[in-house]
Amino acid sequence: MKNDTRNFLICGVLLLAVAALPFFTNNFVIRFATDILMFAIMASAWNIIGGYTGYASFGNVVFFGIGAYITAIMMEKGGMNFAVAFIGAGFGAALFAILIGLPVLRLRGHYFAIATLGVAEAMKALVQNLEITEGNSGIYLPMLNLSVKGQYYFFFYMMLGTLVLTLLVTYFMLNAKFGYSLIAIREDEDAANSVGINTTYAKTMAFALSGLFTGLAGSVYAYQQAFIKPEPAFTVHTTVKMIVMAVFGGMGKLFGPLLGAFSIEIISEVLSNYFLVAHTLFFGIVVILAIVFTPKGIIDLITQKKFGLAYFLQNIREHRI
Amino acid sequence: MILQIIINGILKGGLYALMAIGMSLIWGVMDIINIAHGSFIMLGAFTTYWLFTLFGIDPFLSLVASMTVLFILGYAVQKYLINLVIRASAFITLILAFGIEIFINNSALVMWTADVRKVKVPYGAANFSIGNFVTVPTVRLLAFLLVIIISIILFYILNKTNLGRSIRATSQDLDAARLVGVDVARTYAVTFGLGVGAAGAAGTLWAILFPISPMMGGILTLKSFVVVIIGGLGNMLGPLIGGLTLGVTEALGSNWFGSTYENLISFTILVLVLIIRPQGILGGTE
Repeated sequence: MKNDTRNFLICGVLLLAVAALPFFTNNFVIRFATDILMFAIMASAWNIIGGYTGYASFGNVVFFGIGAYITAIMMEKGGMNFAVAFIGAGFGAALFAILIGLPVLRLRGHYFAIATLGVAEAMKALVQNLEITEGNSGIYLPMLNLSVKGQYYFFFYMMLGTLVLTLLVTYFMLNAKFGYSLIAIREDEDAANSVGINTTYAKTMAFALSGLFTGLAGSVYAYQQAFIKPEPAFTVHTTVKMIVMAVFGGMGKLFGPLLGAFSIEIISEVLSNYFLVAHTLFFGIVVILAIVFTPKGIIDLITQKKFGLAYFLQNIREHRI
Repeated sequence: MILQIIINGILKGGLYALMAIGMSLIWGVMDIINIAHGSFIMLGAFTTYWLFTLFGIDPFLSLVASMTVLFILGYAVQKYLINLVIRASAFITLILAFGIEIFINNSALVMWTADVRKVKVPYGAANFSIGNFVTVPTVRLLAFLLVIIISIILFYILNKTNLGRSIRATSQDLDAARLVGVDVARTYAVTFGLGVGAAGAAGTLWAILFPISPMMGGILTLKSFVVVIIGGLGNMLGPLIGGLTLGVTEALGSNWFGSTYENLISFTILVLVLIIRPQGILGGTE
């Protein structure tokens, strides 16, 4: 209990420090921090279904795209304000997750991964062809009526608030029966079923939560960009980024994805400063090295307090043939 | 008219089958989903492109070269990289493959720029007619025949040779295979090499028929998924059936709804097959 209080205090202080960040930095840093927060939301949301429940979704970008498009359509075509569109985007994405999750979550392992990838690609192709989404030409959103500085602040705090909400819900979920049933499903779904856990319900709800938060991130993103198109909104690379961040930080750990989003974004930023053209190439190398040497994520590295060559070599020895 | 569309679909389906055959082999034997598959196809296409552009070597001859180059590359990638994490969860190898894909695509982009290129062979547009109402493009027909030949060779290797026996033994039970003296690390490397070599062959044929660019791999990987899923794993006929189904459905669908719906049709089929019959048309029960 004493430990819990201490951890809460540490989290509170860290949160205050992050929240105070815009007052001490320039617009560039605020914008960069907003991007990190956005990916931290998505990686944490992915963690709910991929990390805790053990269903590696390869199509989570579909919720991001749906959130972005619902926001665009509600604001531009429906004339509603952002607050309504934001909530609509979250619930729209969650509803979509439930509808698609009911059939798709019956699949396991690779098949689930490919099916979700297929859903995301099919959705992209659909958005490219529909009239209401204006196909490949994209939709413009109304601009936020604030000063430049004010806009930077607004989107930073929107993302920060959404991230805190995501982490809080995940935290309370983990300490409730629901969280335990998710972990039971990850460890052995048939056993979970036979001890009376309603696995279909638990999985679908986890997928819906994952969709909800990813949709919220997409909504803020759309408003921030003021223009969205199918290709960046539904690109498979966003899914890859979420997963790489969650794995790099530590899957199935509350703060793992956050840590992963932070480190991966910093690494990409440094690389793109040094290598104008080839930075994505080096990013590939980073992913490969991270998977080979720290498959359990950097949070494992930190909490185990094992540094040095021995830790990396042991990881390899465990998994090679 | 409808007959022509079906024939076009079948011929394109042959190419899809060749794309998917390597992915199916790697997936079936090692339970690795090779996300970088399309990137290997791209490398095969560029091998053919450079051999043709620099040395004037006929694309059909360079087929041997691209298969060899990609076999060696695949062997090395499996032996020195994927084998290091092969016992971790299947999901880890999936992300490793993503890393490899990013690396290959962007290396190609740095070396060869994003330009769209074309192998301009004089016989590229050659065709012949059957009974005055159906036109068959010669190159596509040759490609289709090659797919069948390569499938037969792979079938022979898997079922009639010692190598094939060790591949099948390893795929059934890694540790048991090792106990009876199979060099599993090498077997895995050879399997990955064979799969990637088949991707190289698909790349060569793709380069003869369509324009190529370093970023072409992504959509080819996705199409290969669709074919593997439709056909089902663990059967050499699977990719062929899957490829033909996808080719014909796409051709008919584009004809009825317009060609912008092509991708929507393929991915809808993918999701529907997974939901209704996840083991594929030919797959057995798992």
